[in-house]
Amino acid sequence: MSPVIETLDVSKHYGEGDTLVKALDRVSLSIESGEFTAIVGPSGSGKSTLLQLMGGLDNPTLGQVHLANKDITQMSGRELSDFRRDHIGFIFQAYNLIPVLTAAENCEYIMLLQGVAETERRKRVYAMLNRVGLAGREGRFPNQLSGGQQQRVAVARAMVSRPNIILADEPTANLDSQTGSDLLDMMHDLNRNEGMTFVFSTHDPMIMERASRLIRLKDGCIDSESERGES
Amino acid sequence: MMMLKLALRNILRNRRRTVLTVLSMAGGYLLVSVQLSVTEGSYDQVLDFYTRDTTGHVQVTVEGYVETPTLYKAFGLTDTLLHTLADIPGVEAMAPRIESSALGYGETRSFPVNVRGVDPEPEAALSYLADKVSAGHYLGSEPDAQGYVRVLIGAQVARQLSLGVGDELILVSQGADGSLANDLYRVQGILGQPGDAEERWVVMPLAAAQAFFVLPGEVHRLVILGADYRVAQRLASRIAAVLPDPALSVSPWQTVAKEFHETMTADKEGGMITLYVIVFLVCIGVLNTVLMSVLERTGEFGVLKAIGTSPARLFSLIVLETLMLAIIACLVGLLLALPINLWFTVQGIALAEPMEISGIVFSHYRGQMSAYVFGFPMLVILVSALLIALMPGIRAARIVPVDAMRTL
Repeated sequence: MSPVIETLDVSKHYGEGDTLVKALDRVSLSIESGEFTAIVGPSGSGKSTLLQLMGGLDNPTLGQVHLANKDITQMSGRELSDFRRDHIGFIFQAYNLIPVLTAAENCEYIMLLQGVAETERRKRVYAMLNRVGLAGREGRFPNQLSGGQQQRVAVARAMVSRPNIILADEPTANLDSQTGSDLLDMMHDLNRNEGMTFVFSTHDPMIMERASRLIRLKDGCIDSESERGES
Repeated sequence: MMMLKLALRNILRNRRRTVLTVLSMAGGYLLVSVQLSVTEGSYDQVLDFYTRDTTGHVQVTVEGYVETPTLYKAFGLTDTLLHTLADIPGVEAMAPRIESSALGYGETRSFPVNVRGVDPEPEAALSYLADKVSAGHYLGSEPDAQGYVRVLIGAQVARQLSLGVGDELILVSQGADGSLANDLYRVQGILGQPGDAEERWVVMPLAAAQAFFVLPGEVHRLVILGADYRVAQRLASRIAAVLPDPALSVSPWQTVAKEFHETMTADKEGGMITLYVIVFLVCIGVLNTVLMSVLERTGEFGVLKAIGTSPARLFSLIVLETLMLAIIACLVGLLLALPINLWFTVQGIALAEPMEISGIVFSHYRGQMSAYVFGFPMLVILVSALLIALMPGIRAARIVPVDAMRTL
């Protein structure tokens, strides 16, 4: 299988001289299509930084990030925006829905940027919200939904634009264990049934249990990697 | 549509702030519009009066007469010319004039005077000359029973020469053929008061002036009145296009009264500074509000950018929000300005002391209802809003998603 995303000797440094902090140091990894991967490690190990670099939200100090066979570190701001729009879905710890848009509109927004026709947008939004268990709540604003429901909308938003990969940064951190578990089951189903590639940064044991691959980070470097069979 | 919805919902998020911003911009619109209405109304009154009274809207003369008027630069006033001009759309009235100087004599004294030969009826229809007669009667074309040509004299002429209505006036000058011109006239009426622009005038029928200055069938100016002084240049172009004699020149009032026009324009531009100060102060307030709103939503812009919103789209979102505020403000401002400007136009502000210019009394400051008075402030507010949106828009567009999302 060809890698969906690949990092080559990626480093991220903050500060300089005595205050230099190496958040990531020469990290190379490759994510294959259909993986359900968890990047784990203690706080400050560089999990979120790695995810941000993989998603083109930040530029590495050194190294390259290849996504869909393109080096995204060389892209301009505009190219990177378009690339994120078309190839990457994000799920954030704090949901980060647009508060003035309804659940359906939040999902529709990216497709609007992609130029998908209105009827197609509507069809896909309603199907996806139904898929994540939010049928009937399409017209609700984020503040009218529970945390779990908001994160489901975030998952739907990330998936509805049909990206190559979904990057989820601590998606269950703000949810109670039952809601978190339900949400993970849903994402796992999407991974198994629809072949969607997921990469998580987490220290949630529930995610680690379900992950097909675990990448452990320590002090900005890959400490260990383990692969599991179908869980 | 989604961007419009997003922009509209964003500006409705903090309603109190939106209301205050809209009111601030609407207040700016109102001040600019009312000030423009009153200024334009006042200038309109003055310019309309001035052009009707003095220059007309357009003048036909011999080339060079407007710049250096002399007795000899006269042209033949033919029926063909009059008919050609009368057929031009927009020409409402025409009056020929002869203008030169002479020495006036009363019983015991002499006084230099400006002689004007006018066609009494067309002149009365075109200018305010007939309204300025403060004693006696307006001019007639025919001599009186004793064969005297009747004239109107300025108040200063009357005072200096100790003349009253019915008295005799002797004029001495030079004819266009170089001969000595002199004749005896009967005072028919006095014009205005000493100090008025007409204080040194002696006004006589055109035929009498042509005879006096030896200008048979000729005039110095053909003064033309159109519908409005504002379209004088267009009317002048139309007249110039059909003028049969290439030796003749057509000048709008702005050329005829060049200094007056330049003074009025400079005065008007000076008044605009006040308007720009008002707009500047409003802009500072609005810029602060828009910047605050962008700062508060930095994290959200980070998310929008992270999920694929381009910098240009983010910039246009800010511009759209600011323009929406400006459009709402303009509508509110328009609703407030309409009745106020209407009141100024219909009622006006009474002057503490009515102003009299050449016998015409100005008693009120009047406003003006025109597309300019309502449209210009709208344009200013919208352009200002666009400029205001630039800085916050660029700021939002340049946000680094990962840094911005840390503020959430």
